[in-house]
Amino acid sequence: MTNQAHLFERLAHTHKPDCVLSLEGPRPQAVPAPDALAATLGSDAIATYASACRPIYEDLRRIIGQVSGLLILAQLTTRRDILDLPELQNCDTRLKQAQERLSLLATPNGTLQHRAQLEAALSFCTAAMKTFSEMRGREALGPAIDLTGKQIKRAYVHLQAASSEKAGLAMVDFSQACCCGHG
Amino acid sequence: MADYSIWVLEYCYVPKYHKSGVIYGAHNQGYVKLPYCYVVIKGRDHVAMVDVGYNDKEYGKTLGDRFGVENWRDPKTVLAEVGIKPEEVDTCFITHAHFDHFGNVEDFPNAKFYIQEREISKWVWAMSLPDRMRWMMVAVDPGDIVRGVDLARDKRLVTVDGAMEDVLPGIDLHAAPDSHTWGSMWVTVRNDGKKASDDTWVLAGDLVYQFDNLKSSGAVVDVEEMYTPVGLAVGSQANLILATEEMMSQVGYEARRVIPIHEERLNDTFPSRTSKEGLRVTEICLADGEKSKVS
Repeated sequence: MTNQAHLFERLAHTHKPDCVLSLEGPRPQAVPAPDALAATLGSDAIATYASACRPIYEDLRRIIGQVSGLLILAQLTTRRDILDLPELQNCDTRLKQAQERLSLLATPNGTLQHRAQLEAALSFCTAAMKTFSEMRGREALGPAIDLTGKQIKRAYVHLQAASSEKAGLAMVDFSQACCCGHG
Repeated sequence: MADYSIWVLEYCYVPKYHKSGVIYGAHNQGYVKLPYCYVVIKGRDHVAMVDVGYNDKEYGKTLGDRFGVENWRDPKTVLAEVGIKPEEVDTCFITHAHFDHFGNVEDFPNAKFYIQEREISKWVWAMSLPDRMRWMMVAVDPGDIVRGVDLARDKRLVTVDGAMEDVLPGIDLHAAPDSHTWGSMWVTVRNDGKKASDDTWVLAGDLVYQFDNLKSSGAVVDVEEMYTPVGLAVGSQANLILATEEMMSQVGYEARRVIPIHEERLNDTFPSRTSKEGLRVTEICLADGEKSKVS
């Protein structure tokens, strides 16, 4: 690798320890969610924002779940064809969809922090997908699996910080769960 | 001679749960109390659990506000009722990946976890389906799967492909594919250690919610009694019935030996007491030399 390429790699992949996009950075705190903002700001724009967030949130939730599941299978089974499963291709499609949707998301006043969490989750999902896909053909999968695991975990905590059950941004669909009593 | 003690420990409950969720087809028949429990199995120098409940930090507010789940207590408090600390648990059998069964692995730092490989692989598949098919991926938290990645890295997660005998001495795992979930399983304890045991207990997970799933009126099809499956099946009720038949055959068709963890009436059948937190402790059986925790 030339010095210039090395410098580019370093700039592209290195963040300050307190940067939100640092893999080892502090755990993000929950940010004001659209439902809370709507209650205080009472804005149609916030409601529109919350509605537009849902498909992005769902894309990211699914990518996180699928990549995590595939990581478990890659570690615990002898199947090396996991990288060729259609589910991984599906993650890639969802990732592109999320990128496009997020780029089109209008961000009214008060929602910047919330959007930043979605962007951070997307960024770590993108990194995880890249690391995971690059495992193909490698002899030793361990280091790449470890890195993908860290990246996807980080994506999860950012998405969790952007969660809001009332705004329809929830990690778990309880609608048919054991607990879905209507008492 | 009994190798293991088995306790069913309630860790929270839903006071009013619609009966049709418990019994397939029981529409407009009101509500039942639904305890949330996990099982402790102690003996042969092991402390094992069937399922680990959920972590209230993650889900508590939503469950409390929306679904009326009450009185959640942490494993340290709940397990203390039978004199066990969470750190002493060395083995956890996860019957399925729903958040209320697989949602608290962090509280068991020294345990190795067993789950069906199919439960993971089919969930990954379900997550890849279009949004209009979202029903097939309910009640699983991606966060629990994320934590599973760490467990796998630390060699504390084992994926099982079908049945597995003697995971611990006399304890077997059995798969019920495409039933309550894609890769549900149940746990069998042969408490005399024999291959053809006369003292078998089945810990049914969510394949059986309550005794009524094992024995209900068969008048509608002109038999005295029949199995009626639980209301929620991502796979099929037919597969739930087939799993029930296999469980019942393992216990010689003695229904009390199939333990449903969401059953409020366990205390009608087994010695039980209520803790000072208002949660039930039920003693299914005691190993030789073990003192009762309910008397």
